[in-house]
Amino acid sequence: MKHGKPDGVALSNRTYFARYYQLYLMMVLPLLYFLVFKYVPMFGNILAFRRYRPGMGPWGTEWVGLQYFKRFWSDPAFWRAFRNTLVLSLLNLIVNFPIPILFAILVNEVRNLAFKKVVQTISYMPRFISTVVVIAILGELLSPSSGIFNILRQKIFGSEAIYFMNDSKYFRMIYVLVDTWQYTGWTAIIYLAAISGISADLYEAATIDGANKTQQIFYITIPSIMPTIMVMLILNVGRLLSLGFEKVLLMYTPDNSMVSDIIDTLVYRTGLANQNYSYATAIGLFSGIIGIILVAGSNTMSKRLTGDGIY
Amino acid sequence: MESIDMKQYKTHSNRIFSLVVNLVMLFSLFACLTPFLYMLSLSFSSPRAIINNEVFLFPKEFNIESYRQIFTYPNFFHAYGNTLFYTIVGTAISLCLMVLFAYPLSKNKLKGQKMIMKLVIFSMFFTGGLIPNYLLVSSLHLVNTRWAMLIPFAINQFNLILLINFFKTIPLDLEEAAIIDGLDYFGILGKVILPLSGAALATVGLYTAVFFWNDWFNGLIYLKSSQFPVMLFLRNIVTGTSMVGDAAGAGDKSTIAISIKSAVIITSTLPIIILYPFLQRYFVKGILIGAVKG
Repeated sequence: MKHGKPDGVALSNRTYFARYYQLYLMMVLPLLYFLVFKYVPMFGNILAFRRYRPGMGPWGTEWVGLQYFKRFWSDPAFWRAFRNTLVLSLLNLIVNFPIPILFAILVNEVRNLAFKKVVQTISYMPRFISTVVVIAILGELLSPSSGIFNILRQKIFGSEAIYFMNDSKYFRMIYVLVDTWQYTGWTAIIYLAAISGISADLYEAATIDGANKTQQIFYITIPSIMPTIMVMLILNVGRLLSLGFEKVLLMYTPDNSMVSDIIDTLVYRTGLANQNYSYATAIGLFSGIIGIILVAGSNTMSKRLTGDGIY
Repeated sequence: MESIDMKQYKTHSNRIFSLVVNLVMLFSLFACLTPFLYMLSLSFSSPRAIINNEVFLFPKEFNIESYRQIFTYPNFFHAYGNTLFYTIVGTAISLCLMVLFAYPLSKNKLKGQKMIMKLVIFSMFFTGGLIPNYLLVSSLHLVNTRWAMLIPFAINQFNLILLINFFKTIPLDLEEAAIIDGLDYFGILGKVILPLSGAALATVGLYTAVFFWNDWFNGLIYLKSSQFPVMLFLRNIVTGTSMVGDAAGAGDKSTIAISIKSAVIITSTLPIIILYPFLQRYFVKGILIGAVKG
């Protein structure tokens, strides 16, 4: 980069800046903004190693080393949150990774173009609905007294109403299914784009050879989009620790906290609610570091397997 | 040559296949739409019909009382106005900053571009985390000001990269011609690049607007109740921490009629639902051109 010139002509530094200073001028404000709001908090993580005292600045007062890390390491609440995060993420991955692939394959098979368009348009929409609205609607649908779900159960099976949103038994299932509802259509776009890149000749040849629809899916569609599937899988593994924090927070009740307290909600509670800033920062930093290791690891894996990574 | 039996079997199995496909599609349409229809019919039904569990996909004892009521609540009106403000001003600030950042960064050969791109991409995978962000916003004295909703989220890296990738597709010839015509880089950006970027700006603008419209958590940690956006207002109704009618405070969940809650849900989602079909193509464009690549 040292000698790279926008127009390929060797320029002295002075002429270079005389010519391009406006491009740098443009960047000044956004770059400054970017450094302040993305990088200062990153260095703010130093607070995990320093004691915070109210009114004494955001960087803490004195160095305490790994004290806060040792503390959460021996804190059962942390390990509970850690386990809950892993279980919920894995469950979500197992259920919600294959579903959009399947959905995309099926959408692609819809012959009526108008109907296909309608299905696509409608299925993307939940992605843009606020988490608050989604959980509020869910609360209504599953309400023990007036929710349609419990009413139907009572009418058909005569069973007693269940307070789904408050019952730790159902929390994980509800979380995962809401994700299915909200993101299936949207995630399928990527697979649909990959499918539309498959040559029609392949299908024609297969039809002539006598392959039926299901055989075409297994022998043409799925193998053709395998690279996309792999990249998406790796991306998902990299994001394993970052669950929908807002959704979990909205679904959190003291009654389901045994399973719904994840790392992010623990950080929120110990940090902002109880104002243990340093302790919460230490937990957050720990999970951030695991996150970056997962991303880097899965990216290396992706490069090795598909020759392509995400960065 | 295949036998006739074989052919019949095949058309038969393909027919079953297309039946299954269409059934799955109908089911997903039903699954996506029913929750909204249910809310819509609850909001137009009488409290009596709701309490007696008579309402499903169509309103019972149709009336608009709940809508009339929520529009008399100053709190709701305030929150709605706040959300409009955050969405419009937030999106405007965001677009300005991102365009000014993305255009220079779309020039691969600009000195320093590679390094800044690395900073941008790294910050997508490792963030400051909740507490350091909170302490930053609070030490900048933004807490309890509306700026706390607008400023910390003005640049989203995904949207930024989307814009950069788009600017890269604009032919350099246009720029060179503009330079010969005597335009400087600000002029090129304003008169050549932006007029060609309508679709990309619409896409990024929509993503940003949806983000601001839906945001509630930042309101929760940074704002006082008179500044709450409508989503936080709704969340507080649902959790029972605030009443619909008068000022925020301890309230009882059961005091808020379901029809009113539903009316708030519908009114706060309406702009997205109404605009969505018209703007849908821009939403989809983003996910396809925004591949996360430096």
